[in-house]
Amino acid sequence: MTEATDLAERAGDRDPRVGLRAVAALRRLLEQLESVQVRSARNQGWSWQEIAAELGVSRQAVHKKYGRH
Amino acid sequence: MFERFTKDARAVVAGAVEHAEEAGAGSVDAEHLLLALLDREGSRASFALAALGLAEREDAVRQALGEARRRAGLSQADTEALAGLGIDVSEIIARVEEAHGAGAMAGDRGGRGRWSGRRPFGKGAKETLEKALRIAVARRDRHIGDEHILLALTVRPGVSGEVLADHGVTHESVTRVLYGGGGAAKAG
Repeated sequence: MTEATDLAERAGDRDPRVGLRAVAALRRLLEQLESVQVRSARNQGWSWQEIAAELGVSRQAVHKKYGRH
Repeated sequence: MFERFTKDARAVVAGAVEHAEEAGAGSVDAEHLLLALLDREGSRASFALAALGLAEREDAVRQALGEARRRAGLSQADTEALAGLGIDVSEIIARVEEAHGAGAMAGDRGGRGRWSGRRPFGKGAKETLEKALRIAVARRDRHIGDEHILLALTVRPGVSGEVLADHGVTHESVTRVLYGGGGAAKAG
């Protein structure tokens, strides 16, 4: 895991590349997490309105993103 | 753009769609193009992969792709960048899978046929095909073959290129076995 250690050290050095990559990866992780949670809520009978309220977004936004399938 | 694709390149594109359908994936991704490339026989790309010793390691490549998909499609480099922030991706995946089942973070919607509509090509797959076109143009090749798709996968950031590089398949090594040493300019 020397590469991981290198990367961690560079993150400490504030290498923007590692920091930006981490942000991009975090966004991806977040998207998947959101999708898992929204599906789970729908399966449990939650309305789009209820899901939107918890996520802090509009009902239209969450429905547009997940409502098609 | 597809009219310039060789028979093998078209077969890779069609194969990628099949892999996406089989996995129940929401879109056709770069990883599906790589899986389809691994299926080819007697093509330019399969020659290159065999010359680089990948024929015996195809299962390892498939397994690595599957693991990355399970990790929300994050590459090893992504995972390490997050570790630098103190975020343990495998821990997150393990907890989500505990609550929502294995493969919950893969973004797939379950087995074949669950969703039979036409799958769109995702950003990664589109960019790979566009890159393949640019590589072919830069090499002044008249057609876009599956070897250009392979070359495109090696230069794009992301899971496919990373998994290929882990198995010794890089832009440099593919160029070497396909076109011989020297000469081949790296396509921008």
